[in-house]
Amino acid sequence: MASVEMPTGARRLRPLSAAPYVVLAVATLPILVLYAWFLYGSFFPRVEGLVPIGAFTFDNWRFLWDPLSVPQMRNRPAVIPLTINTFIFAAATALAVLLVSAMAGYAFSRLRFPGRRMFLGGILLLHSFPSVTLLIALFVVLRALGLYDQLLGVILAKTAFELPFGIWIMKGFFDTIPWDLEMSALVDGAGRLRTWWKVMLPLVKPGLLALGLLSFVQGWNEFLLPYVFMPSGTQQTLSTLVRGILGEGRFVDYGLLTAVGLYYVAPVLVLFLIAQEQLMRIYQGGVKG
Amino acid sequence: MHVRLDKLTKRFGAVTAVDALDLEIRSGEFVSFLGPSGCGKTTTLLMVAGIYRPTEGAIIFGERRVEQLMPKDRGIGMVFQSYALYPHMTVAENIGFPLDVGRGVTKADRERRVREAAGLVHVDKLLERRPAQLSGGQQQRVALARALVKRPDILLLDEPLSNLDARLRHEMRGEIKRLQKEVGITSIFVTHDQLEALTMADRVAVMSDGVLQAYATPAELYARPANRFVAEFIGMPPMNFFPTELAARNGSTVARAEGIEIELVLATARAGAARHATVGIRPEHLAIVSPGEGQARGEVFVVEPMGREQIVDVQVGERRLRAIAPPGFAGKIGDSVGLRVSPEQVHLFDPTSGQRLS
Repeated sequence: MASVEMPTGARRLRPLSAAPYVVLAVATLPILVLYAWFLYGSFFPRVEGLVPIGAFTFDNWRFLWDPLSVPQMRNRPAVIPLTINTFIFAAATALAVLLVSAMAGYAFSRLRFPGRRMFLGGILLLHSFPSVTLLIALFVVLRALGLYDQLLGVILAKTAFELPFGIWIMKGFFDTIPWDLEMSALVDGAGRLRTWWKVMLPLVKPGLLALGLLSFVQGWNEFLLPYVFMPSGTQQTLSTLVRGILGEGRFVDYGLLTAVGLYYVAPVLVLFLIAQEQLMRIYQGGVKG
Repeated sequence: MHVRLDKLTKRFGAVTAVDALDLEIRSGEFVSFLGPSGCGKTTTLLMVAGIYRPTEGAIIFGERRVEQLMPKDRGIGMVFQSYALYPHMTVAENIGFPLDVGRGVTKADRERRVREAAGLVHVDKLLERRPAQLSGGQQQRVALARALVKRPDILLLDEPLSNLDARLRHEMRGEIKRLQKEVGITSIFVTHDQLEALTMADRVAVMSDGVLQAYATPAELYARPANRFVAEFIGMPPMNFFPTELAARNGSTVARAEGIEIELVLATARAGAARHATVGIRPEHLAIVSPGEGQARGEVFVVEPMGREQIVDVQVGERRLRAIAPPGFAGKIGDSVGLRVSPEQVHLFDPTSGQRLS
């Protein structure tokens, strides 16, 4: 892609043009302080207000290598299995969302079937449905299916909540692919399935990557569903651990809380750093040339 | 492969896009569907391709009725207006895509046929590139190679030249025509550009509003257009038309309008019975002569030099007639001139139905 070079004169900062930066910096300060507190809080014995007390230490991170020495961790499932659970939960949700969205999005984009408009409207409606309102109904359904207190049950529930968004996004990506390409594939001898797999899917790859990533993060961050539908602990996820530490007794160990919190968000941050480019490409559309 | 369309009809809801189209295409023939946008030519092509299912009528390839068959079972190759190359595949993968499907083609055979097809259209040096790295002309060639690689019985081309610049279009026009004859493949070419249709096709099917207006060789379409629509659509600059009254004089028929009086030689019985007729004369058949000579008299309205010739608009009474003059013509705006046409170059059309009378 050809880049347009800016004339150097336009880049010189005039006094007035700095104003937006000043305003934005001031407005952003509380959030920055929050993140900073979150970061340094985990490496000091104590924090008073915003000020760290004591010397730099990894003591708060003991829960990783010596969980038994941390009182709050004693009655809880170990961190590593919880991490694995969280990963399985997030990855399985992402895969399921991708698979169904890629197929349903294609169908909504390309096929004319009875009830299509109704389904499309229904998807939008479902997307705006808060999951809290469905908790009781979900509980009944999961128990009836024997999936209550099972990772699989929560994965299915989470997938269902994520699907409206995913299908809608993927339909949008498929919509940008010219009909000619599909007609061409049909004339070239491919059937529907082959056309979808060999011609359409590769062209919506940026969409699949972005949706997969977002669904993974959604799964990783999900708290409510695992908390409510997997009460017995061994199958819980990291979000429920953080919640547990936060709700422990009268006094909260902020050092431990920030350490566990940082451990919990680190994978998401790393993922975003790696995939930034892919996520940006979501707006470049599928087909070039 | 001989192709026959029998009462082929396509309706989209209340709109009839193609209306009871009858057409025969001989084996090896190069036929063009010509018409303004929305005339049903592309719809017809997509029915032949199997992308649209006809509402009524039959499509017969050889002895086989195909209108219920999937595109892949029809033995066709197709080039789209946008070329529709698969952006994520290399040129070689694009050309080879039709071979990957269905019947087992060995790897060596596949590679040989891809090279062969690529060589046919001179893209064999570009096999590893991706479509985005090709020029428009190269993309067009790759699309042709992909359409031909399966050795189809019929080649379909949907406005394949309209995305090219003028120079390339001229080049590809000749090349596609030559390729079609070399391969000897029955071909249908959809275009809205009369020049493309006339220069490339063996026969041209002119369509308008879903109805076939004429189906003839380019020479016939030009010399004896079947109706006013065809007469107007074919030829550049377009034919002059004006209403006239017909009268008998000294055993022949004369067409009269303000400032114009043309003695007709070809008055058939049909024309003889008519009292009114629309006269059509091509600009290239109107010669500018001294005032007082020829069959019409007027004054020069504007002169447009085109290099090889000049287009001269002449005001004759209420209307303006367009004539083509040689580069040496030195008339100026306002000059009085005469216009001459030889009677056999005069076309007569029924004023209401538009059908040819002469």
